[in-house]
Parts: sequence; structure tokens; C-alpha cells
Amino acid sequence: MIKNIDDKIVELIGKNENISTNEISRIIGIPEKEVERRIKAISDVRQKIMIVDDEIATLLPLKRSLEAEGYSVIEAVNGYEAIEKAKTECPELIILDLMLPGIDGFEVCVQLKKDERTERIPIIMLTAKDEMRDKVEGLEMGADDYVTKPFNLNELKARIKNVLKRSQEI
Amino acid sequence: MRIRSEQIIFFLIISILPLSAVVYVSYEHSQEVIRNSVNTNLLVATENTGKAIDNWMDARKDDIRIISSIAENSEKEKFREYLSSFQNEHEGVYQEFFIIDPDGNIIFSTNPANAVPFLKDALEGRLFISDVSLSSTTNLPEVIITNPIRKNGTITGIMGARVSIENLYMIIEGIDIGKSGEIFLVNNKGELIFNKDRFRILHENINNNFAVKEVIYEKRGVGDYINYKGENVLGSYYWLPLYRWGLVVEQNRDEAYADMLTLEKETAVISIFAVFCVVLVAIVISKRMTEPIESLKNGASSLVKGHFKTISVTSKNEIGELTEIFNQTAEELLEIRKKLETKIELANKDLGEKNTKLILANEELKKLDNLKSDFLSMVSHELKTPLSAIRTSAEFLGSEGTIEPDIRKEMLDNVISNVDRLTRLINDILDLSKIEAGKMEFHYEKVNVEEIAKAAIENIRYLALKNNIAVSMELPENLSPVLADRDKIIIVLNNLLSNALKFMYKGGRVLLSAKEEGNDVRIRVEDNGIGIDDDKVTKIFDKFYQADSTSRRKTGGSGLGLTISSGIIKAHGSEIYVESEPEKGSVFYFKLKKYETK
Repeated sequence: MIKNIDDKIVELIGKNENISTNEISRIIGIPEKEVERRIKAISDVRQKIMIVDDEIATLLPLKRSLEAEGYSVIEAVNGYEAIEKAKTECPELIILDLMLPGIDGFEVCVQLKKDERTERIPIIMLTAKDEMRDKVEGLEMGADDYVTKPFNLNELKARIKNVLKRSQEI
Repeated sequence: MRIRSEQIIFFLIISILPLSAVVYVSYEHSQEVIRNSVNTNLLVATENTGKAIDNWMDARKDDIRIISSIAENSEKEKFREYLSSFQNEHEGVYQEFFIIDPDGNIIFSTNPANAVPFLKDALEGRLFISDVSLSSTTNLPEVIITNPIRKNGTITGIMGARVSIENLYMIIEGIDIGKSGEIFLVNNKGELIFNKDRFRILHENINNNFAVKEVIYEKRGVGDYINYKGENVLGSYYWLPLYRWGLVVEQNRDEAYADMLTLEKETAVISIFAVFCVVLVAIVISKRMTEPIESLKNGASSLVKGHFKTISVTSKNEIGELTEIFNQTAEELLEIRKKLETKIELANKDLGEKNTKLILANEELKKLDNLKSDFLSMVSHELKTPLSAIRTSAEFLGSEGTIEPDIRKEMLDNVISNVDRLTRLINDILDLSKIEAGKMEFHYEKVNVEEIAKAAIENIRYLALKNNIAVSMELPENLSPVLADRDKIIIVLNNLLSNALKFMYKGGRVLLSAKEEGNDVRIRVEDNGIGIDDDKVTKIFDKFYQADSTSRRKTGGSGLGLTISSGIIKAHGSEIYVESEPEKGSVFYFKLKKYETK
């Protein structure tokens, strides 16, 4: 459905390079702002990484650093938002905090791995929980990596690269 | 074997042994008596018969003697007349009188029918009685009695008489010898000379009869034998030497011993009756004895099963006493049992309660354990998150390449805000540790409530403005000062006010008020914010607890504010109360003691 809308937008632009967003909005029947957002998203060819943390401000250096590296970074501040955005935005990677309000990181991981639309998205768990059982539990649930806070920025970036590389190879 | 059967058998043994002995002895004795009496009766009958015969014969002999003496001296004619009258007098007895001379010629006869040979004995001067023979004239049995006739001492003739013994027979027949009794007279050859059946007389020889055999050997006695008719008889035999007659009196044995049969029957009946009585008595006695035992047994078995009923005491003997004792014991046992059951029930209940308590305690411990690990992970999270931010910011700033000035500023602000956050957290933790360890110092003094209220509101003014929340104060005039630690109460008010601001919709209101209540002043912080769910109200004073965990990060609290506030107010000897309704708002209040001027 969502893909279809994007496909239609691409199709319309393909037919007429100079078509306005207003026209597209009328043809497909969605708000003009949504059309603009979608066109921006479609035209963004950078790899998209979603960071999930209820205290997103503490991940600001990570965000800036990833943006500097050329990634597109989107944010989610709770589990529901994370699942929803994983489906709509289709990030290439998710950095997931475990201590989330509402449904926690473990549950988000389970939900993502259950849905065929999101099951292939690699997940790096990022948390203050540094007990071995938490690590094991996270990895068993299908996380691709597990990083504890406080973390080394360069190390995390290296891990992100590795995970992305692995997922692309598959 | 059951007591009852044992007792009956016992009774039978101890009663039947002497009983049968007694019965046997008395039976034997009675039999002996009966036998003796039967024998005696027979002998008496025989003797009576013998006597009757003797008497009769004696009378005849006397008659002959008298007549003989008369014949010696009388005229022939007169003598004939006399004899004739004598004959008439003894009608039928004397068939003929005659006189024989010594040569044997009949010289006189009253009825000269047939000559009778004279007899040697008579000639020798003795009275002679002939054997029984049938009369030549009448054909009836008769004897001839002869006696010598003397004249001056010399035997001149023989006086004789043919005597019909029919008369004697009739006398004998008149003797009572019982229904089945029979009298025989036999001669020395065994020929019948008397029988009620006259035709048999001198026509029948019965010397094969035991008694007859004995009697013709001139013996006397009593015998038990089979007679000529083939009947079992008792026979008494008696020899009459004078006439050479054997007298036999027989009696049917069964009849003679009829009494004995009766005795046997009676003995049997009595014995059976006695045994029956013994058995009956044994049954009755054993029943009387075993019934209480039986009810004791039943009582005991029902006692074992636990539904005992008092056994009725039917007798006053040892068993009765035993029953009474048993009843008492059973009642005591049941009472003990009841008590025990009650105790067990109580114990069970107690155990159940203890178990429940233990389970609850265990759950509590588990909860505590969970809380502990929650607490630890909270602390870990709270400390590591800002540390992480500081570290990554520094790393970012230290990285190669150019950083735009606004991003550099952003990073530095991030470092500062996280350092502040950590500082606050560490201060809070230190405060809390002090409070918990009882080491926080309080300086109690006279405190003006209005002054501290204004100070507290001033502290949060910026935050309130930012969130567009109206904070108002409502204090009565001349409010009494309180005894408190000024700075600590300001901390409490700040915490409560900033909580109210944090959990609030935009445009809400917060009211700080106070009023006197007796010796106390009640201070109240009220908001119309989001409120707290009932199940979370009790937990909000826990460390790091946040009623809505989504709110924590936004509000930036450490999660220790209420815990610290509560500790401070407790140190003032009071408590923070909370009343809240979700979506309507919350009220926090506490009391402080008035400052009293001495």
C-alpha cells in the first residue's frame, strides 16, 4: 500500500518531470505535504539508520556523527514509534535501547522479527544493561549486536558498518 | 468358637455327666425294685395258691379223718345217713365215700360205681392221697383220699373218698394273679392236672416247660423263660410234696415288667426333658452373660470407628461394672479425641496461616529481590546514560575533520547538561543515603511558611513560565511560624511543585496553600494535572519509581525527589500524604508543628 503510493509518485514523476507536488497530491489523494515528504524520502539515497531511545538527546553525538558519515538518521522515542517507523521508513539498521517506556526493547525486537516486512532489518542493541544474561537474551532474540553504555563512538560506528555489510551480503 | 457355644457345651458336660449317672443309678435301682416286686408278687401269688391248695386239701384230709373215726364207731345205717348229709353239705366235692376191707374188697360205698384199688399207705395206717385222675363216672379230675379205720388199734378197714377237685380249681381260679397270669398244676410226670382249660387236664404233658422241668425235680424258684406258648414269661414254681403236685404260676414278662417299660420311658422322657432344660438354661444364662459382652464388643468396635454410643448396663455384676468403666473410658477417649481434633484443626489452621504468611513473605522477598535488581539497573541506567552522552560528545568533538560551530555548541551544551544531570543525581543519591543512614543534619528553627513558600515558587518560576502553568499561593494572614529545617522544607516544596509542573497538561494550575490545624500547620500542593493511578499511589515514594515511565525522560527527574522529600518530612515527625484521581489531578500535603515561643 505504502510502497504503491511511492511507486505511483515515481511513476507520475517519470511521465512528467515537471509535475507539481500539488498535482500529485490531487491525483493520488494524499496531502501535498505528505507528497513532499515522500518525494524527499524517495530521493534520499543515503543508508537510513533508526535510533531508538527515550532520551534521544543523549544520542545526539551519535546522530551527528552518523550524519557526518553520510547516513540518514531517523529517531524514535518509544517502542510503538520504533515498530511503526520500521514499517513505514524501512531503515537499513536499527539501534535499539532496551529500557524503553511502554514496551521495552526486547519486546520491540520480538515484534520486528515476527513481521515479514521488518524481520530482515538488522538490530544493534544499545543499553546500560551490561549483565551477561541481558546480552545473551538480546542476541537470542535476533539482535545482530549488543553494545553497552557508555560506549565508544568509533567502536559503535565500526560495528554499524560491519552489521550493514553483513546484511547486504545476505 | 464363640463364648455362647462354649458355655452351652460346658453346661451340657457338667450337667449331663451327673444327670446321666443319677438317671442310670436310679433306673437300675428302680429296675431292681420292680424286678424284686414282680418276683415277690409272683412268689406271693404262688404261695397263696399253694396255701389255698393246702388249706383245701387239709380240710379234705380232716374230713376223711373225722369220717374215718366216725366209721369206726357208728352203725352202718347211721353212718350212711351221716355221709349222705356230709356229701350234700360239700356238694360236688365228695363223689363217693367207700370203705375197703384189708383184703381190698369194697365193703361200703355211697356210690358204688367203680371199685378203687386199695392203697398200701392206708393199710400201713397213714392217710393217703392219690394222684389226680379222671373220674370213671363223671370224667372230671379227682383224687382219692384214703385213711385207715381202726378198731382198738387194729386197722379194720380203709375209709376212702373220691374227691372232685373242681371245687379246688375254682378256688385257684379265684386267686388274682394278673391279667396275663396263668396257673398250672402238674403231676410228677409233667402232666397237666390243673388248667383253666379243663380239657387239657391229664391230656397234656408240658414237661418241656422250664418251670415244669424244675418243679418235677421238686425244686422251687422263679425263672425267666419261654413257655409252651412261645411267650416270654416269668414263672414261679413251687413243689407241693404232700400231693406230689407241681404248682407253676406264670406271668407274661412284658406285663410283669410293664412298670419297667414305663420306667424306661419315663426315664428317657425325664432325661430328655432334663437335657432340654439344661440347654435352655445354658442358652438363657449364656445369653445373659454374653449379651453384655457382645454389646461391649460392639461398643468397642464402634468406638474404634469413632461413633460411640453409651452401652446400657443391664446387670450389676462384674460385666456390668466393666461396661460402666468402658463407658467412662470411651467417653473420656472421645473427649480426648475431640480435643485432639480441635487442637489438630487449630494447629492445621495455624500452619495454614503460617504457610500463607511464608508464601506472602516469600513473594515479598521475591518482589524485594526484583526491586533490588530493578533499582540496580535503574541506578546503572541513570548513571551510564549521561556518562555515555558526555563521552560520545567529547569523542565527537575530538574527531578529525571540521565541525560546524553550531554543532560544536550543541555538543558542548549536551556535555554540560549531562554533567548537571549527573551532579543532581549524585547529590540526590548522597542526600538519600544520608537520610537513610540517619546522618542528614537538620537545623530546626522558627520558619515563616510564607517566606519558604515564596522561595520555593521562585525556584520553579522559570519552569512554570516555560510550560505556561500558573502557580499561585494561598496563605492565611498571620499564619503561625513552624518549627522546621528551612532549607530542607524548601527542597521538599521544590520537589512537590516541580512534580506538579512536570505531570501537568499545558495551561494547568498549581496551588500552594497552608492552614493551621490545632498545633500543626498543614501545607498543601495541589494540581489539576494527569493524576496518579490508584495502584501506583503507594509506590511513588519508592526510589526511582515513576508512575508513568514515559514521563521520566521528558521531565528529567532523577526519580529520587519524592523519596528524599518523604525522608525529610519523616525526620520532622510527620508524613507526606497524597490524594489523587487520574486525569483530575493530585494533592500532596504534610503537616509541620507550630513553633512555640516559650
